[in-house]
Amino acid sequence: MKIKVLVVDDEPQILKQLKIGLQGYGYEVSTAATDTEALVMAAQMQPDMIILDIALGTPLDGIEVCRRLREWSTTPVIMLSIRDEEKTKVAALNAGADDYLTKPFGMEELHARIQAVRRRIPSDPGATLRAEIRVGALHINLINRVVEVAGEEVHLTPKEYDLLRLLATHPGKVMTHRAILTEIWGAENNEMDHYVRVFINQIRKKLRENPEHNIRYILNEPGVGYRFVALD
Amino acid sequence: MGVTGVAVLFRGILTLANFTTLYILLVLILAIRNGTRTALVGSVVSFLCINFFLVQPYATFLIADPRELIDLIIFFVVALVVGQLAARTRQQAQDADSRADEQKRLYNFTRTLNQLATAEGVYNTLTDTVQRDFGAARAFSIPTAAGLPSPASEATSLGLQPFPVQTDQHLYATLCADFVAPPTPDTLRILNTFAAQAGQALQRIDLTERARKSEQFEQADRLKTALLHAVSHDLRTPITIIKTSASNLSRLGDTLSTADRREAAHTIEQEADTLDGLVGNLLDMSRLRAGAMTLHSEPNSLEEVAGDATARSFQRTQQGRIRLDFPPDLPLVSFDYGLLLQVLINLIDNALRYEPAATQIILRGQMAGATEAQLCVINHGENIVDDERQRIMEPFYHGKGGKIGLGLAIANGIVEAHQGQLRVEDTPGGGVTFIIALPTFSSSTTEANPK
Repeated sequence: MKIKVLVVDDEPQILKQLKIGLQGYGYEVSTAATDTEALVMAAQMQPDMIILDIALGTPLDGIEVCRRLREWSTTPVIMLSIRDEEKTKVAALNAGADDYLTKPFGMEELHARIQAVRRRIPSDPGATLRAEIRVGALHINLINRVVEVAGEEVHLTPKEYDLLRLLATHPGKVMTHRAILTEIWGAENNEMDHYVRVFINQIRKKLRENPEHNIRYILNEPGVGYRFVALD
Repeated sequence: MGVTGVAVLFRGILTLANFTTLYILLVLILAIRNGTRTALVGSVVSFLCINFFLVQPYATFLIADPRELIDLIIFFVVALVVGQLAARTRQQAQDADSRADEQKRLYNFTRTLNQLATAEGVYNTLTDTVQRDFGAARAFSIPTAAGLPSPASEATSLGLQPFPVQTDQHLYATLCADFVAPPTPDTLRILNTFAAQAGQALQRIDLTERARKSEQFEQADRLKTALLHAVSHDLRTPITIIKTSASNLSRLGDTLSTADRREAAHTIEQEADTLDGLVGNLLDMSRLRAGAMTLHSEPNSLEEVAGDATARSFQRTQQGRIRLDFPPDLPLVSFDYGLLLQVLINLIDNALRYEPAATQIILRGQMAGATEAQLCVINHGENIVDDERQRIMEPFYHGKGGKIGLGLAIANGIVEAHQGQLRVEDTPGGGVTFIIALPTFSSSTTEANPK
């Protein structure tokens, strides 16, 4: 069965190209150009995925549409934003969006994001049932709390391990600084952004990331948070 | 009285000349300690005391010996003159002291004002000083509103003391102070001087601001010229390529080979990226120039941002042409991660263009002293000539690389927005080193060891 995607954007040319492109990747695509249309379509056609532009030229912007949608729907949402709108991106994620993509983007990238979000969805509600995570040379055994790089065990402090586990169990998903702080250090510390940076730095070293050859596990999303690389 | 008592005891032994000398000393002391009036009273009382107690016949104001009368009159005149002279000297010393004190306060006040960059700061310093050093219960400044009369008369009617904060040309504001005890004329004079100094400071700030604005306008003007130039040359190129490729596809699509069609589509995609990059750069540039770029500075790791830029370069070039060199103990530095990433990408792009194929560019992090962190982008190409050193930072400078010269100008603008400096030096052995020098984040937070 084809995956049903609802694309919402107020620019007809973009809507048309996204439709052609996504159909090319085998999705069943419907489109909406306004806030109300988007909500009605989402209710009627029960899509598997919604691509939602943040800057709709309608009374409700994309973020507000997403918030309304979340009142009754768990359908994954990928927001489309333009460059340099870190605050909007954070607001979109806080409104319940699953991911965002910065315009302009290639169709390949959109396809990859849809795939990543869809892979994550079944395991997202409740505890992750995955017992181990493998990506590149990194191997995390969630049951024994053992982390290995190229077969060698890496010693992490409990906090470092918690942080790595939080990111790694949400591969491909942006975790905002605030979400990370609240989860690992508790809500009262959610202003202490530099904790996260210090710990991420330590973890990077221990995991022997090698940016000189593009070997990385944790990606920085400037102004927003961190994203664990998508799994192999 | 004591002196007189002692003198009476000795009046059999000592002569009148001894007593008069003693009393002159007494008058002198009184004059130095208490001033003119006391010296005058002292002289008269001394005259009477000597006459009454020490000149025969005793206990009367009569004088038996006419020579003693002459002595006594001479004494009185001398006492008066000495007393007044001494008192005046004392007054002058006091005046000098209080002038020195006044000068010192004025100097301190002016020095504080000179360090201020905002009008608000000047007003705060003025009102604080009036309250702290001059004992005003309350002090505030009313800025001069255009078209309205000075609020001085209104302040006076409210029982407040007004002081104009002004220069020769302009009344900036009126300082109103509420004194518990009425201030002396001296205090009023000093306060007027202080208010005038504040007026000078406001004028200086005003002029500096105007100079900065006109400098900005000039820069904006130069930028506009350069921008027009760039738009006509550099933006048109990718647009032309996109247009020709797209028209080929739409007109000849059916007759073109699959490979040619794919090639045309690929070209469109690539040139769109180029265009996007240019537009982004232009936006950054204009926002930087307009001072409208907002920094989201947070304590960040230089090593992390350098690693990020390096990995992105690897993704683009598929070659490991960058080496990272960071000490393990480099502290966090406050900067906007996204913007510094942009700076590094621009500098790396530039450095790679001149790097010989056999060598790698180096990204090095280091501390320079306790308050400056440096991130160096080191390449091993040719040295830069002195003349070019300044010009490479200008927007749209076309260097030997031939590309649109926005990258370095943006890098420079972003680093400056961080209160940092982008420096250009020679790499020992040949090549160019760009140094991003950033002030370090306050040590308390970087060294805080989160648990």
